[in-house]
Amino acid sequence: MAGETARILVEFLEVAITSIVFLKGVYPSGAFERRRYMNLVVQRAHHPQIRDYIHYAVFGLLPFIQKGMVERAVVIFFNTDGIPVERFVFKLAVNLSYGSKVEEADLEFSLRSFLIKLSVSESLTKVLPRDYRWEITAYFRSLPEASANKDVEQWIPTDTRQWEQPPLLIPIKSMSSEPLCVHLYIEHPSLSEPKPQSGEV
Amino acid sequence: MSMESTRSDKSAKRSFNNNRNSASSNSNSNPSNKKKKTSQKTLGVAWGSNSRSSSRSSFSNSPFSNFGSYMVEKNRKLQNQFEAEASTSSHGGSGSVKPIFDGVSIFVDGFTVPSSQELRGYMLKHGGRFENYFSRRRVTHIICSNLPDSKIKNLRSFSRGLPVVKPAWILESVAVNKLLSWVPFQLDQLANNQPKLSSFFTLKRSSVSNSASTHAPCQVNPEAEDSSLKVGTSGDTYFSEVSEPFEHRKQISRESDDLVNENSNASLVEETAGSSGKPCEVAMGIPSNIDAEDESSVKNDLQSSHYQPTALVSSNCINNQNMKGSPSSMVSEPSNQSHSTLGDPNFVENYFKNSRLHFIGTWRNRYRKRFHSLSNGFNCTSSNIKASPLKTAIMHVDMDCFFVSVVIRNHPELLDKPVAVCHSDNTKGTAEISSANYPARDYGIKAGMFVRNAKALCPHLVIFPYNFEAYEEVADQFYNVLHKHGNKVQAVSCDEAFLDVTDSEGDPQLLASKIRKEIFETTRCTASVGIAGNMLMARLATRTAKPDGQCYIPPERVDDYLSQLPIKALPGIGHVLEEKLKKQNVWTCGQLRMISKDSLQKDFGLKTGEMLWNYSRGVDNRLVGLIQESKSVGAEVNWGVRFKDLKDAQNFLSNLCKEVSLRLQGCGVEGRTFTLKIKKRRKDAEEPIKYMGHGDCENLSHSTTVPVATDDVEVLQRITKQLFGSFHLDVKEIRGVGLQVSRLESTENSKQGLERNSLKSWLASASARTEELCKNSHVAKESSNRGCEGEGDETLGQLCGNSVGLSIQMDSNTSNGAACLNEVSVLPPLCHLDMGVLKSLPPELFSELNEIYGGKLVDLIAKNKGKTENINHTLSAYSHEKIEGAMKEGQAARLSSMVFQNEIPVENKAEQHIAKEVLAVSGAESFVPASGLKKTDLIPSSLSQVDTSVLQQLPEELKVDILEHLPAHRMQVFSPNVLLDPTEIPLEALGTKTAENNSGSKDFVLDNNLWVGIPPQWVDKFKVSNCLILNILAEMYYKSGSTGNLSPILQRISSVSLHQLDAFQDGWDEAMYILCELLKQYIKLKIELDIEEIYVCFRLLRRFAMKSELFIQVYNIVSPYLQALVGENYGGNLHMSLKD
Repeated sequence: MAGETARILVEFLEVAITSIVFLKGVYPSGAFERRRYMNLVVQRAHHPQIRDYIHYAVFGLLPFIQKGMVERAVVIFFNTDGIPVERFVFKLAVNLSYGSKVEEADLEFSLRSFLIKLSVSESLTKVLPRDYRWEITAYFRSLPEASANKDVEQWIPTDTRQWEQPPLLIPIKSMSSEPLCVHLYIEHPSLSEPKPQSGEV
Repeated sequence: MSMESTRSDKSAKRSFNNNRNSASSNSNSNPSNKKKKTSQKTLGVAWGSNSRSSSRSSFSNSPFSNFGSYMVEKNRKLQNQFEAEASTSSHGGSGSVKPIFDGVSIFVDGFTVPSSQELRGYMLKHGGRFENYFSRRRVTHIICSNLPDSKIKNLRSFSRGLPVVKPAWILESVAVNKLLSWVPFQLDQLANNQPKLSSFFTLKRSSVSNSASTHAPCQVNPEAEDSSLKVGTSGDTYFSEVSEPFEHRKQISRESDDLVNENSNASLVEETAGSSGKPCEVAMGIPSNIDAEDESSVKNDLQSSHYQPTALVSSNCINNQNMKGSPSSMVSEPSNQSHSTLGDPNFVENYFKNSRLHFIGTWRNRYRKRFHSLSNGFNCTSSNIKASPLKTAIMHVDMDCFFVSVVIRNHPELLDKPVAVCHSDNTKGTAEISSANYPARDYGIKAGMFVRNAKALCPHLVIFPYNFEAYEEVADQFYNVLHKHGNKVQAVSCDEAFLDVTDSEGDPQLLASKIRKEIFETTRCTASVGIAGNMLMARLATRTAKPDGQCYIPPERVDDYLSQLPIKALPGIGHVLEEKLKKQNVWTCGQLRMISKDSLQKDFGLKTGEMLWNYSRGVDNRLVGLIQESKSVGAEVNWGVRFKDLKDAQNFLSNLCKEVSLRLQGCGVEGRTFTLKIKKRRKDAEEPIKYMGHGDCENLSHSTTVPVATDDVEVLQRITKQLFGSFHLDVKEIRGVGLQVSRLESTENSKQGLERNSLKSWLASASARTEELCKNSHVAKESSNRGCEGEGDETLGQLCGNSVGLSIQMDSNTSNGAACLNEVSVLPPLCHLDMGVLKSLPPELFSELNEIYGGKLVDLIAKNKGKTENINHTLSAYSHEKIEGAMKEGQAARLSSMVFQNEIPVENKAEQHIAKEVLAVSGAESFVPASGLKKTDLIPSSLSQVDTSVLQQLPEELKVDILEHLPAHRMQVFSPNVLLDPTEIPLEALGTKTAENNSGSKDFVLDNNLWVGIPPQWVDKFKVSNCLILNILAEMYYKSGSTGNLSPILQRISSVSLHQLDAFQDGWDEAMYILCELLKQYIKLKIELDIEEIYVCFRLLRRFAMKSELFIQVYNIVSPYLQALVGENYGGNLHMSLKD
């Protein structure tokens, strides 16, 4: 059961992350093509490297999501110094012990609303500086044992720095149903956060 | 830009199609498709074209001469592609079997689940067609999940009369591999297109196409394991341009089955029952309406259950002419029934035939008839009960899950399997479980649950239909056993009774086991018995005894037993009362005992308070008596009521009248007051969850009283028609109709004249409150010292409602109101008896009265003096018996004349005045005329001074009279309510008391459960608050659709002018405190689950805070709390800056 839920979730994450990347205009819109997912028009990266990065990143999470170890999956946009400017956080909670059959349609219905909301959330986001980069980072509830699974090796420690102050949150969408609970929110640096420029000077 | 996207869209589609097209050899085997192709002439100007009007110019350079020709070409290509794909993807092999969707051509509008592409795939696979652009000619069904309002409002121009169906239709059809009727899958939004009564009972035409014979095996197999196999056949014709009708076989959906079952359109059920040789019956009728595209007609009903094989054949005829000309031959058997017009003439009858409630309700009459002599014998002894103050022993006998046990007593193999009884076992249905046995209850299955939920809890649940005959049989056997063992039997229901076994010899426990054994031997069903000193405790004991056991609670154990008993277990404590008590932190009877009687009566009213006080101590003064006489007879149908036009409604009403008339005759009574109750769909009500249920309704009622009691059908119909006319309703909005007849008099006595009517109805209502009287007499005892001072100075400043619940609280604005006649018992106090009347009484009457008055009457006569003692005590003690006696069937009339004979003269004086009447009622009338006080003084200056609860209990005439005497403007406000809806009045009228409630409001917020329940607790609290803002919140809760989320409520509030809210100063602090508490609890509840919701709420709150002082403070208080919790859960603060 958990496997099925996790698979749907991962698939969704792939699409949602692509949508975020598209939303932020990281790449020219020509790099994406329109596809249908969950009966919605969504973007799919045209460029194999982008596509593969997103795909392998989220599918690399699959075994850990199945074990309930992943707490958050975050898309981080950061500047050249590795200081995050904006983070899109998927806070995940999968009920592993959920017994009854998961209705895929119900789940899709909820997940679809994320994609719809995302597509209109551009005004909530920050204008990114020049020369920024992005990455997908996962936060685990506990560190997986490296020896146990070779999947772990695909994941490397991130260089991205943390904010010093607790960030400001802008919730985008929440769903809480059995067996899956997902929150998507944007994190921005707190107003009292030291400016990256001043840190440089 | 739009051009761009349009093009890419098209190209995508094209390539998509081409991909699949590779292997196609374009061999179209479907002749109908070819026909269609030739029929394409006018195309293009469909919806698609409208949206593309802007791009029209762009085609000017294209090889197409205009947009129209482009669309022609495009459609042609799409069609070719589709057909090519169809030929490859459809099922090969079985060439002889028609594909499911043969002749169906769908157009998908808007967003659907599953997507239009998936639907297209299904159509490809199963021989249907998929249209990319709408055309009235080619499309047969429009598929969509949702429609915008504009399209709903203008449905005809949108759908061009084509059925608008949910995608589930396709999915389910594919699932059962049969074309189902689309009717049950119609779009929910199309409320008007919801199946109507008429369509269910109108039998238009039967058409069982030849092809239906493929399903014949299941139809003629009534023994099928599937306990309710329903197969329907319906014809749906599509009149194409070339006049080629398509005949579709459809299996009517499960829902529709359900519907027929529930509708109790079960005449067929009965007819086919046992006639295994003829399992399929087809009814035939005449089409009522050629333009009946949106209607279905349920023809017949094939249901093979264990007991009742029936047939369900549904036919949907779009065009009957076509049907006749259709090549497929039709098999139509003449049916046993001939339905000539709209509406099933037997609907009402059938409805009640299958109603369990009806069974229980009418069972009493049956019981009374059957055990008439027995109960009469008992009646005579009842007056002696009081005389023997022995240790009483009351037995409460209750069959264990009666409705199930009776049905499965012939299925011993099901004994320990979960079994439930319900009129339909459709696993997806919304039929309600009516009873479940203990194994089923272990799965959490309860009565009232929808079948689909029950099946979800316990998939192997066995469901049986009702077997009313068996119920009757077993109930009779049950009572035979009971009557054998005791002559004091009070029937509570068909499966439940009280026995007074005080007089029986031997140990009651032994007797109980004997009775249980006998019940089991005769009925093969088990019963449980509770034994105790009174009815209350006996009933509670049964609770412990169940199932199949017995329990004795000796008097010394009563206290122990009760102290831990949850209050809910006490009879008379329902949800509302329970909640109220829990708020006072009362959970068990033990805790309830701590509360003084005074405060209970203050909080819950005299009667309820008294009851709570008594019950929590195991005190119950009720005597095991008779079945109570019914006060009214009526019939109500709240399920499946959908009228198409006035004629439908009239037809239905006239049938309802027939039913009511039959019931009146069955009970041997006639009635004078007729009340027609209508359930009208609320404007914003959505379709009910329960299929064909009544949903959210306004309850309306009108009543009228005629001078002569009647049970005549025609009179009933005439009256009902008038009443119905006075509603001025749109019949389409009606969701339920009920006709009730009250002020009953028995048929035998009805000739005795009008004067008696009032007396008798009076008695009837009084007798129905025997129980009440019991308690009241108790009260009367306590206050008897004040009871009647009998100074002869009858100012009657106050006539308190305690005694019979019939008097009216009045304004004591008379100057000489020194003496209050506070407690007036049913019998007039001695001091009020008219000597003249007493003396002239016939000897036997006098002696009986004398007995009632404890022999004081003799003294009284002797002294010839009106001096009174505190005799209320005795009086009230006997009054109960007296009234009980009045109930007795045989004696009722005699007794009534007896009791009231001495009052009649006064009434005969025909004093019109209300004061007189009220006094007459309370039996104190004899002296009033002499007192010479100003009558007007007795009338409250306005209705607000009248205790409404008392008012409601007054007989109709008195009520009207009182209302007439009140200032006119008052009456307008109140009278409709008072007469129509008794339950609502106390809330409104007692609004003044709410201030008191508020004093307790601080307590409740501490409970931390403001958001518990549906509606959440705060809603009720706020509703009665005296803070405007809180009231508004509660009001908005309902307006916003009662979702349980705060944000829709706040959104609604944002439309209210918040400046005004600040205007009030009272309770500012309190309102703020409560609001903060509400919000905090909400945050706590939602923080982990739905941060989005909280965010929305607080952004709204922040917006309010810009306008309202109150909200600034609330926001400032709650905000830190919120941020702290967000930080805890999400490691950050919510972004709440004022900029955006």
